[in-house]
Amino acid sequence: MSHASQAARPRVGVPWLGTLSVLLAITLLFSGRDSSAQSESKNSEAPVRIASNVAWTEETLAIISRGDAFRGLLLARRCNHCHGEEGFSSVPAFPNLAGEDRLSFWKQMQDFRSGKRTSPVMQGIAEGFSGRDSADLAAYYAMLPTASDAQDNRTFPQAMKGPSRASMAIRLIVFGDGQRGIPPCQSCHGPVSYVKGAPPLATQNGNYLELQLEHFSTGNRANDINVRMRSIARQLTTEERTAISQFYGAGMGPGVNSR
Amino acid sequence: MKKKIGFVAAMVLVGLALLSTRYYMVDLPVWHFLGGGNGPDPVTLHLQGEFVESNLGAAEGPPGSLTVRMIAQQFVFVPQCIVVPAGVPITFRITSADAVHKLSFLGTNSGLTAVPGAVTEATFTFAKPGEFKIPCHEFCGAGHYAMRGHLDVVPRDQFASMLPGERRTCEPR
Repeated sequence: MSHASQAARPRVGVPWLGTLSVLLAITLLFSGRDSSAQSESKNSEAPVRIASNVAWTEETLAIISRGDAFRGLLLARRCNHCHGEEGFSSVPAFPNLAGEDRLSFWKQMQDFRSGKRTSPVMQGIAEGFSGRDSADLAAYYAMLPTASDAQDNRTFPQAMKGPSRASMAIRLIVFGDGQRGIPPCQSCHGPVSYVKGAPPLATQNGNYLELQLEHFSTGNRANDINVRMRSIARQLTTEERTAISQFYGAGMGPGVNSR
Repeated sequence: MKKKIGFVAAMVLVGLALLSTRYYMVDLPVWHFLGGGNGPDPVTLHLQGEFVESNLGAAEGPPGSLTVRMIAQQFVFVPQCIVVPAGVPITFRITSADAVHKLSFLGTNSGLTAVPGAVTEATFTFAKPGEFKIPCHEFCGAGHYAMRGHLDVVPRDQFASMLPGERRTCEPR
């Protein structure tokens, strides 16, 4: 019996291969053109606009990960006046830097240097820091604790303006709005999941966030890679932008002290 | 002999099923993955190539047709709102900046997959004017369920009378 089946094997194999090769040929025939090889026709009307010179390549990530927190501590003296000794600003329109995401911090510094993000104050200051300095500062600020400190002159948890909007804010932060294509804030800014370059918002000043959302929606700030934040901020109403910002600014956002 | 015929028939059926799956749903050339990724690098899409932000949206393609370039990323399609004329072949060229996403036109059975490092191209003709939601149809992360674009199919005459900026995307400005 076994002898017979061994003898039969080569004959069984032929139609097998034949069928397979015919199918493969048909698949290749029907699979159309190689779309990458097509010439890149450009929309000639619009000049090429590049949002940010930063890309999350291996080299970039390596530069940021080599940041030295101690060197950052010494460099941070230049930042203390506005961003606070403990990384918490005493002016609600300035961002808090304590617990800031390293990639996010580094990218913003590079964008200020290259003018991709405009700010009359920060552009001048960022020019004084090299890529390595920014990585050191990023390491330092990422290390700072975000726990509250009564001794510190910080504005951070501020009573929410218009607390009636809290439910609107929670809905957008936690669930987003699928009908309009607005993803939830916490799916990129944490604590549910993180996307490269998205800063944590849980300990950020409300007024600063509100200003940035407004700038994103009008296009005044346009340094987000692949138009991500602009697409979202454009769809939010003014009231929703205020609600989300003030909610985070009151320290009520998800993920407080979680990083 | 009977077994053999049955087996070959089964293989042919499976092959045909695979073909139809590829044709209607996946739309990626098979050899795309054999040569080892010649598509754009997903992390530098915004720096060079055809997916820089000023080149996204609808543009004139080959004569009599339109090319729409899109990026799918966690968790938005860019541009999020596209407007196209009815009865004109529309070539979609999409890629992904991070995970695998799938763009499906709700209410039709067409869709295409956005793969990081590859450009997916497919041509559709929308016969009648209408509005389509474009939900992401492939789980891509925490915000997947809220990832949704919008496709607006307008009559040809109306499309022709629109300003160039309005023709590229229908996002609020």
